[in-house]
Amino acid sequence: RLLCSVSDQTSSLLQRNKRNSPELSLRSFLDMGFTEYQAEQLYDSVSRLKGGNAAKHVLSTLSVLFVLGFNPTTVHKLLDKCPELYKVKEMQLQQRISHLRQLGFVEGSLQRTVSHYPKILTVPVKSVKSVVQFLREKCLFTTQQVAEILRDSPAVVLQDLDQLEYKFQYVYFRMGVKQAEMVKCRLFRFSLDDVRCRHTFLERRGLYQTPDKKGQTTLINPKLDRILNVDEGTFIADVVQASPEEYDVFQKLLAREWKEEDFEYGSIESY
Amino acid sequence: GKWAATQPKQPPTRMALQHFDATYSAQLGALWPSIRVALLSERKYGALLNHFSHNPDVEELQGQGCKDFISNGEAFMFPASADHHSELRPEEDSSSVSTVTHGGGIRQPSPLRLSPNIRCLVFPRGDITRFRPARPDKFGLLSYYLLDAASMLPCLALDVQESHTVLDLCAAPGGKALALLQTQSVRFLCANDLSVSRTSRLKRVLHSYVPKALLTDDKLRITSFDGTIWGEIERNSFDRVLVDVPCTTDRHSLMDDDNNIFSRSRVGERRSLPQLQAQLLLAGILAACPGGDVLYSTCTLSANQNQAVVQQAVQLAEEQHGIQLQVICLRPLAQMFSNTFHFAPNLHLGEMVIPHLAANFGPIYLCKLRRLT
Ligand SMILES: C[S@@+](CC[C@H](N)C(=O)[O-])C[C@H]1O[C@@H](n2cnc3c(N)ncnc32)[C@H](O)[C@@H]1O
Repeated sequence: RLLCSVSDQTSSLLQRNKRNSPELSLRSFLDMGFTEYQAEQLYDSVSRLKGGNAAKHVLSTLSVLFVLGFNPTTVHKLLDKCPELYKVKEMQLQQRISHLRQLGFVEGSLQRTVSHYPKILTVPVKSVKSVVQFLREKCLFTTQQVAEILRDSPAVVLQDLDQLEYKFQYVYFRMGVKQAEMVKCRLFRFSLDDVRCRHTFLERRGLYQTPDKKGQTTLINPKLDRILNVDEGTFIADVVQASPEEYDVFQKLLAREWKEEDFEYGSIESY
Repeated sequence: GKWAATQPKQPPTRMALQHFDATYSAQLGALWPSIRVALLSERKYGALLNHFSHNPDVEELQGQGCKDFISNGEAFMFPASADHHSELRPEEDSSSVSTVTHGGGIRQPSPLRLSPNIRCLVFPRGDITRFRPARPDKFGLLSYYLLDAASMLPCLALDVQESHTVLDLCAAPGGKALALLQTQSVRFLCANDLSVSRTSRLKRVLHSYVPKALLTDDKLRITSFDGTIWGEIERNSFDRVLVDVPCTTDRHSLMDDDNNIFSRSRVGERRSLPQLQAQLLLAGILAACPGGDVLYSTCTLSANQNQAVVQQAVQLAEEQHGIQLQVICLRPLAQMFSNTFHFAPNLHLGEMVIPHLAANFGPIYLCKLRRLT
């Protein structure tokens, strides 16, 4: 869209005012405390929404976010990051928020999580429940650990459960890491491929061993925290003591190995 | 899931890994982790070009970025004002064996004579592109042979000259024999391998790459003898002898449970490898003519199967047969190809290509001996 001249801008504003209900004028956003720039942006995205109840949802979303305690600048940022929020019905928003509170989000942490990952409010209670149930029943995380996972890695609520299960099993069985450590290291923030790649690199260099049935290894494995919560340069140089060139080639080779494994499984399944 | 199955017994590949972890971490120290990950990841190949085939495949490969590492090594060597300190390197062998360099220590740009006809394409460092299988030309000859590019080094180091007679004591499946024939210098090649089935494979390989006219009885003999008794067949006869012995084939032993030398049933065979290797090398020494060169090679990192075997064979040759040998220093060769391969540093006897993820060739050990008497 071109905002090249004042007259252009004014005419488009007028046109939009005809389409939208009066309470969503540019003025009303300014009245809520948004700056002119924010108000314009909000106004602009709202006017692009379709559907009869669009304006109603926008207003209720704004009021819910204000009630949560966010200031206009944060609200603007959240909506900018996650415009899907405009379309969520008020009832659903309220339900989702109170469900999160039930799961152990206290004031402060709820706001932090929402502002970091506003998408969490677009996920139906049912989906969140099934992820929570999965984490408790399949992975045997405690209620408190589940709350912590949701707080630190809210994106789990939108992950594919099979992928999640594979990641958990990989870290639990192949790496021999227990639930408490997974939570502490914020495992669920990392992609499965990243985890596998770093672990496999260590393992093939002889620096990581899967514990035996008694949980024993003949060498001291590096802690999950040292593997995941360091940047790539530190991981390569300090944890693995390899060269960036080696890790670079290794990633390429491993990606090809995985692709070909998937292909094999795929072809077996199709029999 | 992959981790679900609890194996009742350790598979041979695991036994091999445990064995290597124990011996190589002691032998190679800080180098071992880097070699280990390379051994456990996909290896790289080289394409030995077939001079006898007319095939556009090669241009296509060059278009993909493949380069002949041999002529490129030379290009790297010649313009350099490199001072070949190594030629003048003082003796540092802890063995009773003396070492001299090619060219008798004369300072010249390249002390190496390499056959210009052996060409081997590789993808550049860090490039993991694979070769596709070679295709036959209109005469049915294949355009290239895929092998570990580092296994060209023993062939190059053997330094076959015009009208030489050559014995390849353990020749099957034939990659090195094929490279030797590419030089077009060999007057007569005798290719031997104990295994009859592998000897037939060797025959098939040679016939897929070399025109029939060059494989006549007066140029080529293929036999299936036990190489250790070669000394009883013919002595003092070959200008060049390649002794590319059976070994623990480290890469294969880590990757494939089939036909694995670390399986329980082959413990005895594995333990007696160094002895067999020394006997084969001794037989090769006896088969060479005085003044002739013998090249010992393996595809293992094991010092017991490499340096120790050479030392033992040299000693036996002297004690039992009164044959004096000289170790020929291969440092210049290693330096020439240090852009393509990683070499183990400070080996006191011979040279060894060690696997590295960015240049995942080897392991290949080689040591060159000259019969003085
Ligand atoms: C490393 S492979 C040789 C590879 C071959 N030079 C090439 O480049 O294709 C070792 C070979 O030694 C053979 N061998 C084993 N014992 C032998 C013996 N006693 N005499 C001769 N050959 C033997 C095996 O059959 C095997 O083919």
